[in-house]
Amino acid sequence: MKRGAVWVGLVVLVTSNLVAQGDPRSRLAGRVPPAVAAAVSLLVDSAQARGLPAGPLVDKALEGVVKGVAPDRIVPAVRGVLQQLDAAATALRTAGGPRAGDDAVEAGAFALDAGLTAGDVGEIARAADRSYPTAVALQVAGLLAALGVPRPETVGLVRATIRSGRPLGDLVNLPSQVQAAMAGGSPPAAAAAGLERAAAAHQAPRPRAQGKGQGNPHKP
Amino acid sequence: MAHEDEGERTAEPSDGTVVRAVLQGDVEQYAVLVRRYRDRYARYATRVLGSVDAAEDAVQDALIRAFDQLAQCREPENFAGWFFLILRNRCFAERRRDRRIDDIETVPEPQAPEVSQTRLEQVERSRALQRALLHLTPEQREVFVLKHVEELSYDEIAARVGTGVPALKMRMHRAYDRLRDLLQETR
Amino acid sequence: MNETFDPQVKQVLDGERASSELPPSLRAEGEAARRLLAAVDRSEVALSPHLDTRVMAVVRRHAASPRYRAWRWLTAPSVPPWVVGALAAAAIALVLIRSVPDGAPVVAVPAPAAPESVYVKFVLFAADARRVALAGTFNRWDPATTPLTRAGAPGVWTVTVALPVGQHQYAFVVDGQQWIPDPAAPSIDDGFGRKNSVVSVSAGQGRIL
Repeated sequence: MKRGAVWVGLVVLVTSNLVAQGDPRSRLAGRVPPAVAAAVSLLVDSAQARGLPAGPLVDKALEGVVKGVAPDRIVPAVRGVLQQLDAAATALRTAGGPRAGDDAVEAGAFALDAGLTAGDVGEIARAADRSYPTAVALQVAGLLAALGVPRPETVGLVRATIRSGRPLGDLVNLPSQVQAAMAGGSPPAAAAAGLERAAAAHQAPRPRAQGKGQGNPHKP
Repeated sequence: MAHEDEGERTAEPSDGTVVRAVLQGDVEQYAVLVRRYRDRYARYATRVLGSVDAAEDAVQDALIRAFDQLAQCREPENFAGWFFLILRNRCFAERRRDRRIDDIETVPEPQAPEVSQTRLEQVERSRALQRALLHLTPEQREVFVLKHVEELSYDEIAARVGTGVPALKMRMHRAYDRLRDLLQETR
Repeated sequence: MNETFDPQVKQVLDGERASSELPPSLRAEGEAARRLLAAVDRSEVALSPHLDTRVMAVVRRHAASPRYRAWRWLTAPSVPPWVVGALAAAAIALVLIRSVPDGAPVVAVPAPAAPESVYVKFVLFAADARRVALAGTFNRWDPATTPLTRAGAPGVWTVTVALPVGQHQYAFVVDGQQWIPDPAAPSIDDGFGRKNSVVSVSAGQGRIL
């Protein structure tokens, strides 16, 4: 039943969260050379000291080993991930609002990796404000940038969609909409600009307040 | 259900449509449900808790709790019934917290100078009954309010609160007797 | 003193008997019952006009918290079938429009999923491959755990994976050594001179490319 699945999911989420928070380094054991594990462990310490999520660092180290990358190139890549997480966290802090969670910081790092700047990350976080999950807005922006949409069009499209007050699903669907337009021959910038114009022109109507219910409120 | 289609064709979305929109991330849509239900059960909460202030706290808390638990609303089209249960639980919790609510600002004092003696007596009887209600058990008070203030049938009450009609009648009849006692003592 | 109403009078109180049906001995009691009911206050109650504002302020705060978002992803209703159909049609149309001769057209078909994960289908066209696997952040970059299998059409390899909600990086591994990003998905530098593909999933939305 759904409730059972929900509880299982919650246990999985909590458990995996605890494992991730408690000891992400445990995933390295037996899978990376000792020298790499030691260097990554120091970087994990640094991340945790700064309140940054450490999971992405371990992920990058594992990725490098599996891809057969030389150890002396794995550690700089892991350090790069830490720097991106740090930059994202700083950008989110500067943007104001409540303290950004790990998901928002990781999404910000992804957006930076995709080519957006710290300023872009801050701008998108401010636009999302409290109405939309910051992490989702940044994930969408990162995906748009990764598709080749230039920075100004990426930020413009995400902000316009948020400002239009549309459901979260519309924001989430932006990358596939851009991709569909690109498949039709549209360059990424033009595809994004077209969607931004549509979002700016189209404010979703809000249902007006209804008067008090007539008769007995308990009767359907 | 036909409800949902009708809601979407007209300007006013059905409760189910709004619930689903909120669950998909459109948090601001929850304001629609707040507007619809903020006063709907205000009278029930006020009579059960004995004061408008307490009712306001209970309704506010229940609306917030309903948002937090919205994903557990199994029948979005019946948000009304589901919300009522949340409010009901909140009212019962209030009673357990404070068993000595004597504030009965529920029946306003008539202000007009020409108010009739009959009206004054009626107001005083209403106040006396409200005071007496607060001396019932929460369950007795609730069934009395649902039956005689909200004017539901026993079957409707049973469907709302999930208790069988015989048990409800037993509670109610004990409430009648207790009220008779209390009101006779005040004479 | 514990005076109780006669059961017949209680029936009157319950509205199941008319007071006129009471025997003369119970008329006085019936009158007491009538006075009791007449004292019931049914006036409407209006709460503070500021209640809406107060509630929405708290609701917005709750909605912005990471715990709420995690809870919502766990408990959001699954994708309705018509959405799945529409997305599948869009994905297939995308493949038909974009056939990359030297690359690998990829179809992403979201499927109905249990509330705690979303099933995503990965497809790779690799005519000369002997074996193909999928590696990514969702399987600790271990290709051994997620091999693709040959689909009906020649050269087409597929696998369907249950992905937890969130964002994942991945690539295909051909014959154990060739790392190929997904040509139809967004890609970012992997920090090692290659590209990773990105897939983002959220409950109720299926896959977003």
